[in-house]
Amino acid sequence: MSSQPVYDVIVVGSGAAGGIACHVLATKGLKVLCLEAGRRIVSARDFHTHMYPYDWAYRGQGKPGEYGKLPQGMGWKIKEWTDHLYTIPEEDPYALAPGAKFTWTRMRVLGGRTNCWGRGCDRFGPLDFKAKSLQDGWGEDWPISYEEVAPYYDAVEQFIGVAGSPEDVYNTPSGKHLLPPFNPRCGEWLIKKGAEKLGIKVLPKPLAVLSKPYHGRPECHYCGGCNWGCEVAARYGSVDSVFPHLEGRPNFTLKTNAAVHTVLMDHETGKARGVTYIDAENKQEYEVYGKAVVLAASMVESIRILFNSRNREYPNGLANSSGTLGRYLTEHVAFNDLEGFFPQLAGRPTTNDDGPGESSLYIPRYNYGHKDKKKYLRGWRFDFYTGCGMGPGPGASMAGFGSAYKKKIKELYPAAFSIGGYGEGLAFDWNYVEIDPDGLRDRLGIPQVRFHTNAEYPQAFAIQAEMYAQMEEIMKASGAEIFPYKKVAPYPLGSVTHEAGGARMGDDPKTSVVDKWNRSHDVKNIIVADAACFVTHPEKQITHTLMTLAYRACDHLADDFRQGNV
Amino acid sequence: MRRKDKTMQKPQIGRRRALKYFGLLGATAAGREFLEGWLPRGSATMASPAPAAGGLHQIQEIGPSPSPADTESPYVPRFFKPDEFRTVEVLTEMILPTDEKPGAKEAKVANYIDFVVYSASEFEPSLQKQWIDGLGLTNQLSDKQFGEPFLQLSPVQQEDLLTQMSVPEHDPNARHAGFPFYRLLKGMTLEAFFTSKVGLVDFLDYQGLAFLTSFPGCTHPEHQT
Repeated sequence: MSSQPVYDVIVVGSGAAGGIACHVLATKGLKVLCLEAGRRIVSARDFHTHMYPYDWAYRGQGKPGEYGKLPQGMGWKIKEWTDHLYTIPEEDPYALAPGAKFTWTRMRVLGGRTNCWGRGCDRFGPLDFKAKSLQDGWGEDWPISYEEVAPYYDAVEQFIGVAGSPEDVYNTPSGKHLLPPFNPRCGEWLIKKGAEKLGIKVLPKPLAVLSKPYHGRPECHYCGGCNWGCEVAARYGSVDSVFPHLEGRPNFTLKTNAAVHTVLMDHETGKARGVTYIDAENKQEYEVYGKAVVLAASMVESIRILFNSRNREYPNGLANSSGTLGRYLTEHVAFNDLEGFFPQLAGRPTTNDDGPGESSLYIPRYNYGHKDKKKYLRGWRFDFYTGCGMGPGPGASMAGFGSAYKKKIKELYPAAFSIGGYGEGLAFDWNYVEIDPDGLRDRLGIPQVRFHTNAEYPQAFAIQAEMYAQMEEIMKASGAEIFPYKKVAPYPLGSVTHEAGGARMGDDPKTSVVDKWNRSHDVKNIIVADAACFVTHPEKQITHTLMTLAYRACDHLADDFRQGNV
Repeated sequence: MRRKDKTMQKPQIGRRRALKYFGLLGATAAGREFLEGWLPRGSATMASPAPAAGGLHQIQEIGPSPSPADTESPYVPRFFKPDEFRTVEVLTEMILPTDEKPGAKEAKVANYIDFVVYSASEFEPSLQKQWIDGLGLTNQLSDKQFGEPFLQLSPVQQEDLLTQMSVPEHDPNARHAGFPFYRLLKGMTLEAFFTSKVGLVDFLDYQGLAFLTSFPGCTHPEHQT
């Protein structure tokens, strides 16, 4: 042990939270070891964005059944473009309690899920951090306010590069130093006009995609392949935007293929003294030592590590004296899109509608003050997609066959739209994850989790019903034809990869796992820096906020080091 | 479940793809200008990834490879027997016929379906049974109604039968024994056609996956005001 280095901080994970943690801690001069469970990837080699379906043996879809039965929301992710990046659930399964559903997207490679993330970067608003006291009395407030977090949103935006508009709407604050927003497509203008007739604002969508060269990275070249990666780093991902700047520094070490198993404790001081990891190549277990441990392995993985670190003092999981570890899991209320077409755009010449890969506009939350009138709580946002895509579009779902059918497909191809929404997900203690009591282990032999999660709660159905109705109203006001659709049950937690909670933040150690600086109440030198710390899950996308909280937590940790408090 | 290792696939095809990706772009003046503005300067993304384990050298050694259904000429069906394959050709060309624009025939949809159904043996053999049973049922229906197997029918009779099989698509209360196979046939015909170059580029005129220096978005004032 004495011959091994003792790092200042061991960062577990290299994705959205881990990448930011490494950036903040290493550039502040701390001696950092980053452990990534997956292998190293290189964008130019591992991303295949400029490939058409017919460039692949199975047109991008894989052999029939090759990826097993994918849970809700994962089918579009795992394709021939990307199947080497994702963990296929059936190849390395996780457990579900009877009746429970959870979609767990794992990307065990350097950069984690920032390699193929959605890139939406809206900030949480003042009401989102204080939903209980400022909205409706339900649930818990965060122990921090928007004003406390705002400077770190600025810092993250300036680091990663975000295109958008400085325009604020109520409870939807914007950064004031964003890159220019992207131009909307035809259908997006039609939706904007339709929504505005109803008094609903439509804003440029803040995206972590570069509309101008930034920090040595080129601007977007509008190929639209972002869901498969980005060879040129025009969208933020930690593989290209963090590690090339850190590797080579004497105070930064990156170790890949190192799957952290447990946090090691010093039983005299009651502090963490390092971690154990399994080398994914030789399957041996190793110890490494640090003065602080930042868990940024993803919501589920960070919780799993804490549970697997249970010991004499913490028989129910490390940092779990509250008994709330793994509980209050939450996710957006998500469900099927409405689809159809704009008669105004039918038969127009084809255009290249790829743009920055995402839509340029979106509808931020606009429903406020409905308290006591409806059964649902909080609000929703809508995102929409329009124009010519890499598929036949709305005409294909028409009845019939033959030449007339084929002509209809061509006519409606440039007129396509889909619209979908995210509603605020509520955090219940009965939505939880634990270590599988039946002893399931992952492919490295580490005890695996079992989910007890159910997205089908009454408030979710209530907000969903309101969202369906609102989407119909907006699309009708835009002049669109909506195809008949089935109303489905809200999708399982995890199905839009926005899972959060399980080590929630709070001032009271009896009801929360981490404090307002993301430090474990029980073990002050363990920081949970990813979305596990979330208290509420508003309709906004969560990655920007989790990166911002990781930035803030690590900034504070560096201060603690400077003052000798670690 | 073992999946293919992309690094082990036909390297010469990967090299061809890499040439398309960089070589062709660099071969034109506009492409060179684009590359100059687009490739990051002094960053570690493209030309000099960190560490030295990547880069253009690596790109040339790996990459996707297109389907044998698109590359083998002439294509010899791997799964369907000759009469079955001919039936698949006729049916897919009825779903998406050749008119002023190319259809299933030009896109070699039947070749691709044969290749996919053949490949289903590994993880989804039920797909093979669905096709064998569906083609058998089509002939049974044909024989019952017209006294001859499907391939012997006139185009009008073939159209008549396929229309009957498709009726529940228009009328949710209607039922037809051939409807599940009609949906399978239509679904896989659409997938095969619109993932082909003929369907996606020649027919739909898909213009994406491009290298643009700017994205104008909508350029029609009438959509915006």
